[in-house]
Amino acid sequence: MTVFSRNEKMPDSNIIAKTPARERTDQPVAAPPDTTRAYVPASGSSNMSVSQASRVSVLSKALKITGQLESTEDIQIEGEVEGDVRAVLVKVGGSAKVKGTVYGEQVELAGTVDGKIEAKKVVLMSTARMSGDVIHQDITIESGAFIDGHCRPEYGKTDNKTVQPVPKFVTAVRSPSQLE
Amino acid sequence: MSILPRRAISTAKSNREPAELPVSLLGKALTVRGIVDTDGELHVHGSVLGRINAGRLVLAVDGYVEGDVLAKDVQIGGRLTGRIFALNVALGSSAEVTGRVFHHTVTVASGARIDGRMPWRPANFFESLEQLPEAQS
Repeated sequence: MTVFSRNEKMPDSNIIAKTPARERTDQPVAAPPDTTRAYVPASGSSNMSVSQASRVSVLSKALKITGQLESTEDIQIEGEVEGDVRAVLVKVGGSAKVKGTVYGEQVELAGTVDGKIEAKKVVLMSTARMSGDVIHQDITIESGAFIDGHCRPEYGKTDNKTVQPVPKFVTAVRSPSQLE
Repeated sequence: MSILPRRAISTAKSNREPAELPVSLLGKALTVRGIVDTDGELHVHGSVLGRINAGRLVLAVDGYVEGDVLAKDVQIGGRLTGRIFALNVALGSSAEVTGRVFHHTVTVASGARIDGRMPWRPANFFESLEQLPEAQS
């Protein structure tokens, strides 16, 4: 029997069923003594938090990305992005700077965006600084927010259909009742 | 060059304050095309197509990187195509690395797949790395 075949779990107590065995086995191996120590003891618990948190991407203050970001999950930006961001919920933190377009279902802005926001729901916090257009269906602007640009509502096709027919329908119902 | 700022990995700090660094996390569903640059720690669960500069890079099992990596510490659990320039490199048993691994210290777990050379370099080589050398064939 091969003791260490590729897909077999290594004898590692950190292995947790939730994450694939492969992930944990690589942790204790790390060479740099101090960094390893900082990481490994945490790996049991941070294992969970990482797998939970890995649903949401966090770009910390010290991070700068030049290029595109695309996700089918949520993104929290505290750092700097030069390029477009596309995700479901995009939180642009107070220290964050984005130069480019932010697309999302929902965009929460507390930091700076220089470009465009396109989202169904847009929230501009009091610390927000927005230079550029905001295309939205639903917008909240807190007092103190700075906007230099247009706020343009753009309703999705489904919303458009449900909103428009209603007045016509009401008048149609009314008129026969008035005749009687 | 704006792309490669404040690089030059400082060896002096390598044994201290590892946990102080802010951690950035690129989730599973995230794809980044471009340059990722941080002094802190970077965990990649998604894909990065492009260059990574980091204090410490952790490439998770489900993570994928295509491009060069420059960092002080690198821990690989996932797939990487490109070069690694790091003082300390740790390749986990699930690592799949295609490309050169420039290192000062390296550990490779049994099971890791490496396709490429692993040249050793003195520590000052990484300190002076302002700009990555051109890829050789």
